[in-house]
Amino acid sequence: MNKLRTGAFHTGMILLSLLWLGPVLWVVVMSTRSFDDIAAHGVGSLPRSFTLDTYRQAWTDGGELRALINSMLVTVPSVALSLGLAAMAAFALSRFRIPGRRTILLLMLAGNLLPPQILLIPVAKFSELTGLYDTLWALIAVQVGFGLGFYTFVLHGFMRDLPGEIQEAATIDGAGTAQIFTKVMLPLTRPALAALGALSFTWIFNDLLWAITVLRTDDNMPVTPALLALQGQFVSSWNVIAAGTVIAAVPTVAVFLRFQRHFVSGLALGAVK
Amino acid sequence: MSDFDPGRRRFLGHLGLAGMGALGASSFLSACASSASGPTTSNGSGAVTIQSNLSSPQAKAAMEKLIETFNAQGKGTASLNTIASETFRTQLPTYLTSANPPDLYTWYAGSVANDYASKNLLLDVSEVWKSLDDYPQSLRTLSTDASGKQIFVPMNNYWWGFFYRKSNFAKWGVQEPKTWTEFLALCETLKSKGIPPIGIGLGDTPWVASAWFDYLNIRINGAPFHRELLAGKQRFDDPKVKAVFTRWREALPYFDPKGKAYPFQEATTALLAGKTGMFLIGTFFADAAPKDALGDLDFFRFPIIDPAVPLAEEAPTDGFFASAKTANPTGTKALLSYLSGVEAQEAYVKASSGIVLPANPKARASDSPLVVKGKAMLNEAKELTQFFNRDSSDALQPTADTALTKFIDKPDQIDAILREWQAGAEKVFKG
Repeated sequence: MNKLRTGAFHTGMILLSLLWLGPVLWVVVMSTRSFDDIAAHGVGSLPRSFTLDTYRQAWTDGGELRALINSMLVTVPSVALSLGLAAMAAFALSRFRIPGRRTILLLMLAGNLLPPQILLIPVAKFSELTGLYDTLWALIAVQVGFGLGFYTFVLHGFMRDLPGEIQEAATIDGAGTAQIFTKVMLPLTRPALAALGALSFTWIFNDLLWAITVLRTDDNMPVTPALLALQGQFVSSWNVIAAGTVIAAVPTVAVFLRFQRHFVSGLALGAVK
Repeated sequence: MSDFDPGRRRFLGHLGLAGMGALGASSFLSACASSASGPTTSNGSGAVTIQSNLSSPQAKAAMEKLIETFNAQGKGTASLNTIASETFRTQLPTYLTSANPPDLYTWYAGSVANDYASKNLLLDVSEVWKSLDDYPQSLRTLSTDASGKQIFVPMNNYWWGFFYRKSNFAKWGVQEPKTWTEFLALCETLKSKGIPPIGIGLGDTPWVASAWFDYLNIRINGAPFHRELLAGKQRFDDPKVKAVFTRWREALPYFDPKGKAYPFQEATTALLAGKTGMFLIGTFFADAAPKDALGDLDFFRFPIIDPAVPLAEEAPTDGFFASAKTANPTGTKALLSYLSGVEAQEAYVKASSGIVLPANPKARASDSPLVVKGKAMLNEAKELTQFFNRDSSDALQPTADTALTKFIDKPDQIDAILREWQAGAEKVFKG
C-alpha cells in the first residue's frame, strides 16, 4: 500500500514537472529545427530536421553578443545601485524615528501601484529633457527609480524584525550610524538582499517596455528588444528566435542557480515571528 | 501556437493605440520638448540616420547594403538603425515628436503619412519629386499631403490576391475563376472533394480579414466610396456597406473553420500542405513558405462582382518620409534621391528576396512569372488602394478587426455589428 502510494506520488510529480518543463523543451527543440521544416509542417509539429546553425544566426545576424553586453551594462549597475539605495532607505525608515516615515514608505509603495503604461510618455519626454534619451544611463535611472519603492518596502519589513538589542549593543561599543549600517545591518540583511538581487536581476534583465521607451538606436538595445528585432514585419524565423531566447535565458538561469539557496531561505525568513 | 508570448504582442498593440492617442497630446508636449536642449548628435553636415522597421534578416541585409553603397558614393553619409517592426510601430510617434528625431523613416504611404504631415511633423520633399518625373501619377498623388506638397518617397509596393498551389489545382482539376459566380462554383467543387476551399488565419492576425472587406467593398462600391468610408465621410451602417456583407455571406460557408484559431503564417502552412484550397493574402506570406514550394505558387485576382465598377486593386506602398525637424535636410534629400533611383531600387529588390515591385518605373522587378503576373495585374487596375489601416489609421483597424471577426462568427447579427462598428469608428474619428 505504501509502495503504491509512493509510486503514484512520483508518477504524478514527474507528469507535473513535465507539464512545467514542456514549453521550455519545446523552445529548445524548435531552436534546432530548420526554417523550411517549420514552414512546411508548422511550429507545433514533431522535428524533422536538426541544425545548430540557428544559434550562429542568432549570435551574429541577430547581434546577440552586443545586446547581451548592453543588458549586463544596464542590469549590473541597476541592481547594485537600487539595492544599495533601498538598503539605506530601509535602514533609516525602520531603525530611526524619522517624522512621517510611515507616509514616506506608503508613498514609495503607492508608486509601485501605478501601471507603468501611463508613465511611458512622461518618462520618454523627461529622459529627453535631461538629455539622457537613447543612452543606457536613462535605462539605468528608470530601472533604479521604479525598483526602489518595492525593494525598500521588502528590506524595511526585514530590517524592522531584526532585534533592536544588536543595534544597542553596537552603539554601546561605540559604533556610529554608518558603521552600524555597514558592519551590522548589511551582513544581517544578506539573505533578503540575495533574494532581492536574484529577483531584480531577472526583472531588469527581462524588461522590454522601458528599453524600447527610452532607447531608439539598435546598437544600444539590450537583449529583449534585440530578440524582438529578430521578428520580421510579417514572417518570423521562429527557430532563430527560439535559439536567441535560449541564449538570452542563460544569464538569468545562472544567477538564479547561484542565489537559489538564499532565494528560498530569504523568502521564508520573516514568515514566522 | 507560433506566438510564444501573445500577452506581450497584444499589450504592444494597445500600446500602439495609446501612442496614437498620445500623438494628439504630443503637439504641446513636443513644444515643450523642443525647447529643451537635447543632445546634439548630428549637425548640419552630420550623418543622416535612417530609422528602419525592416527587421527581417533579408530586408535588413538589403538595407545595409544600400546604405553602404550610398556612403561609398561620397554624396553624404548615412547610418542605418533597424528596430523591431513591432517596436517601431508603437514608438514612431515618439520618434517623430522627440526634440532630436532621427532624420529618415521607413513607413507607409497614404493616410497614415498624411496624418503626420497634418501635424507638421514631416519634411517637404517636393524637391526630390522634381527628379521623379517618370513616376506614375498614382504614386505622386499617394505621396502628396492635403496642402499639396509631397511628403513621402515610395520605395516599392506589393499586391494581394488569391494564392494557390499550381500542382494542387491541377490535381483537383480546377481553373482560376474570373467572376464571383465562377469563384463560388470553384468553392463548391473543392468542398465536394473534402477540402476547405478558402484558407484564412485570424488567430493573432485578425487584420487579415480586412483584406476581404477591402476587396468586396472596392469590387461592389468602388474605390472612391471605400476611401470616403475609411476617412469617416460615409457610414459603416450604410446599406451599401451591408451589401458587402451580403456577398461575403455567400462565401462564408467555404471558409476553413480552423482558420479562426491560427495566425496567417500557419494558414500559409495549411495552404502549402494542401489542407486548404486558396488563400487571400499579400505577397509577403511567401516569406513563410519553404523555398522549394515557391515555384509552385500562383495567384488570381479577387473575382469581379460588378463589371461596371472600375477595377481597383490593393497595392500597399512602402517607402520613406523624413522628419520636419531634421538638422540636415540637404543630406536627407540626397539620400532620398539615391533611394528612389533605379540602381538602389533594383539592388533592394534583388537582395531582399521578398516579392515586391520597385516604385521607380524604370527599375526592373524580379522576372519570376509570379512577379510579372502581379505587376501586370496592378498595371491593369484603374485605382490602387493601400490596405484598411493604411487608408484609414492604426486606430481604426481594431474596430474593423472586432466587427469582421464577429461577423464571421455570427453573420446573422450583421445589423447590430455594423451599428457597433459605426459607433466605434465615430469615437476614433472624434478622438
